[in-house]
Amino acid sequence: MYYRKSVPIFITSILISLRLHAEEPASNEAIQKQLLEMQKSIQDIQTRHQAEIDTLKKQIEEQQEFIAALKPPAPDNLPVLPDPPPAFPTSDPALVPPAMPPASELFPTTDPSVVANSPSAPTPGLIPAPGLIGGSVGASKGSYLNISFDAIFVGAASSADDLSTLEVGDHDPQQNGFNARNVELALDGAVDPYFEGAANIVFKLDNDNESSFEVEEAFGQTTSLPFGLQMKGGQFFTPFGRSNQSHPHRWDFIDAPLVNGMMLGPDGLRGVGGQLAWVMPLPFYAQALIAVQNGQGGTAYSFRNPGDDGTFFGRPTIDRKTDGFSDLAFTPRLETSFDLTPTQTVLAGVSAAFGPNDTGDDTNTRIYGVDLFYKWKPADAEGGWPFVKWQSEAMFRRFEAGRGLDDAFPAAETFNDWGAYSQVVWGFSKGWAVGLRGDYVNNDASSITDDPSRQSRYRVSTDLTWYPSEFSKLRLQYNHDILESTDFLPDSDEDSLFLMYEISLGAHGAHNY
Amino acid sequence: MKSRIIILLAALVCTAHAKLNVVTTLPDYAALAREIGGYKVDVTAMAKPTEDPHFVDARPSFIVKLRAADVLIEGGAELESGWLPPLLQTARNPKLAPGAPGLVQASDGIRLLEVPATLSRAGGDVHASGNPHFMVDPIIAKAVAAHIVTAFATADPANAAFYQANGREFGTTIDAKLQEWGRALLPYRGLQLAAYHDDWLYFARRFGFEISVFLEPKPGVPPSPAHLAAVISLIKEKHIKAILVEPFHNRKTAEKVASSTGAKVVDMAQYPEALPDTATYVQLIDVLVARVSAALKN
Repeated sequence: MYYRKSVPIFITSILISLRLHAEEPASNEAIQKQLLEMQKSIQDIQTRHQAEIDTLKKQIEEQQEFIAALKPPAPDNLPVLPDPPPAFPTSDPALVPPAMPPASELFPTTDPSVVANSPSAPTPGLIPAPGLIGGSVGASKGSYLNISFDAIFVGAASSADDLSTLEVGDHDPQQNGFNARNVELALDGAVDPYFEGAANIVFKLDNDNESSFEVEEAFGQTTSLPFGLQMKGGQFFTPFGRSNQSHPHRWDFIDAPLVNGMMLGPDGLRGVGGQLAWVMPLPFYAQALIAVQNGQGGTAYSFRNPGDDGTFFGRPTIDRKTDGFSDLAFTPRLETSFDLTPTQTVLAGVSAAFGPNDTGDDTNTRIYGVDLFYKWKPADAEGGWPFVKWQSEAMFRRFEAGRGLDDAFPAAETFNDWGAYSQVVWGFSKGWAVGLRGDYVNNDASSITDDPSRQSRYRVSTDLTWYPSEFSKLRLQYNHDILESTDFLPDSDEDSLFLMYEISLGAHGAHNY
Repeated sequence: MKSRIIILLAALVCTAHAKLNVVTTLPDYAALAREIGGYKVDVTAMAKPTEDPHFVDARPSFIVKLRAADVLIEGGAELESGWLPPLLQTARNPKLAPGAPGLVQASDGIRLLEVPATLSRAGGDVHASGNPHFMVDPIIAKAVAAHIVTAFATADPANAAFYQANGREFGTTIDAKLQEWGRALLPYRGLQLAAYHDDWLYFARRFGFEISVFLEPKPGVPPSPAHLAAVISLIKEKHIKAILVEPFHNRKTAEKVASSTGAKVVDMAQYPEALPDTATYVQLIDVLVARVSAALKN
C-alpha cells in the first residue's frame, strides 16, 4: 500500500524540482550536484522499497502456509470392501484405474463405506442362504441362543402375621421382610430349520432362605408346519386365559390375581404335554388351541393334585395314576383380536380345562374362563408411553370333591366356585404407570371342610411403577384384603404394602400382545 | 347363470392372487416397496409413521397380515426385535422364515455405523449391530431398494422386469435428487446440529453435518434436568442453530432447550407420511432437506 502511493508522489516531486531548476539555468554545477543528490535519494528509496517488498513477500508466504494448514484434509479414502474375487482376477485396479465419475456429477451418488455392493446390480447373495441362522428374526445376531436373566425382589409389610396365607401365588411375597421368589433364567433360540426351543428356569429362595428351582417351562415347537399350524411339546404354561400364560416380570402387579392362584393354582396351571395351535385363515386374528397335559401334581392344582400334606379341600387324596387318555387334563382355547381403531386393540378369549382330581376315584374338575384385554396407545407414543391397558378375567370352576382315600372323608360335595379380577393400568408419563385392580373369588360354602383355601375373598390393589428403562423397574403396591367368614373361620381384613425391584439382563425379550 | 358366477368368482380369486402381498415393519420400507412394486403389490406397514419404531405393540392383527404375506421387509438390525419375533412365531409363514427369499433384511450388505465395540446397557439402549436408523441416507435407500427388487422378482418372476425397471428408475431419481439435495445443503456443510435421539447420523453424514449434541443423555434414556443444563451450555458454546426432533419425542423438552439457547426446534421424521406432503421417500427427503436448510439459513 505504502509503496503504491509513494510512486506518484515521488514522480511529482521530481517534475516539480525539474521545473524549479529550469527557472535557474545559471549554475550548471549546482544542477549537477542536485542531480547526483537526486540519483542518490532515488537509489535510497529503491533500496528501502525493495527491502519492504521482500518482507511483504515473506509475510504472504507465511500466511499461505498458515491457510494451507487450516484447510480440512482432502476427503479420506474410504475403505472399499473388495468384491469376492473370481477364480482368476478379471480386472486390476492397480494397473487400470476405474473410470472417473462424469465431471457434471457434483454430489456423490454411491458410497462404498456404507453400501458394500453396487446397488445398481443387486446380487441374490445379499440375502442369506437358507440354512441354520442363530436366533430368531430381529433378535441379536451372532449367537445360537438368546439368554436373559430376570430377578424380582420384594420387600413386604403386612398386617397379616403369615403373609403366605394371604398371598396365593408362589411367586408372590410370602413373608414380611424381604422376598426373592422369582429369579429367572430364560433361554431361547432356533433348534434347526424346523423347531425352536425355549426354557424358563426359576430359582427361588424360600422363607428360610433355602434355594430351590423349578423348570417352569422347557419346550420345543415347530416353525414350519403348513396351514398356520404349530405343535408344541414339553413343559409349558397351559393356554388358559391371559395371566396364566405370562411370566411374573410381565405382570402389572406384584402378586397374581386371586382367581388365578385359587383356581389354576399357586404355580399357575402348567405341566408336561403337547399343544396344537391353529391360526385360522380369517380376515381377522383368530387362533384355536388345544393342550393335553398330565394334569398331575402341584402345577395342576385343581386336577390330580395330591395337595400339601396329602390333603386337598380337607380330603386325604388318592394318588391317581395315568391309566388312560381320560386321566389327562385337556385345555381348549379360542382367542381373537380386533383393532377398534388404529390406536385401540382388543384381545378376547374363552378357555376351558377338564380333567380328573385326586379327591375321589372318579371325581372330575371343569374350569371355564373368559378373558378380555384392551389397550390404547396413541400414534405418537414416546417409548411406548402414554397408554391405557384394561385386563379382566372371569372363571367358573365345578369341582367334584369326593370322599378321599378309603372314603375317609364324611361326605362328597360338588363345589361351584367362581371368581374374577379386573385391572386398569395407566401409563401417564414416560416411564411411569399407575394401576388399580379389583379381585373377587366366591367359593361355595361347605359345612364340612374347614380348609382356608375355601374362604371367599375380596382384594383391592393399587400400584405405582417407575421404569428407569425397559430393563429395570421399581413398584410400590398397596393391597386391602377382605376374607369372608366360613362355618369354621372368622372374617378378617388385612392391609399390605409391597415394594418391588426388578432387573433384567441379556437378550431383549420380545413380548406377545 | 351358475357358470357365469363361477367365472366371476374365479376372476376375483385370480385378481386377489395376482398382487404380491407385502408387509413391512416400518413405513419407510413400505414407501420403497410401493415405488418398486407399483400397482402389482399390496403393501402394509405395521408401524405407524409417527410411532416410535423401538416400541411398536405386537398387535395380533399383524399376525393376520404376516400370515398372508409373500414378502416381509424388516430392518434386520434389531430395531424391531422387541415386537417382530413373537408376531412371526405366531404367523408361521414359511415364506418369511429365516433365509427364505420372502424375508428381506434391509440392512444386509450395509455397513452400519456406531457398532459398539463392547456391549453394555450402561450405555443405554445400544444396538449390537449398529445404529439402525439408516434409511434417511438416500444412498443406503438405493441399496435397500435393490434388495426389494430382488425379493419381488423372486416371489413374482413373471413381473421381474417390471420391478427391475422400477428399481432402476428409483436409483436414477435418487441420483438426480442427490445433486439437488447436495446443492441445497452445501452452504451449511460442517455445521453442528443437536438432536433429541441419535437417529440422524446417516442423514448428517451424507450431507456433511455433525450431530454433536443429544437431548437424551444415552439412547432411549429420557433427558434429566442436569443433562439438559449441559446440553444448553453446549448448544450455546457450539453456536448450534437447530434441534432435530421426531413426532414421538417430547417436543416440550426440545422447546425448553430452544428457548434458552436461541436454537430452533426442527420437526423431522424418519418415515414418509409422518410430516405433511411426504407420501413418498423422495418427498420425505425433500421436506427434510428444506426444513434443515430453512433452520440453518439465518
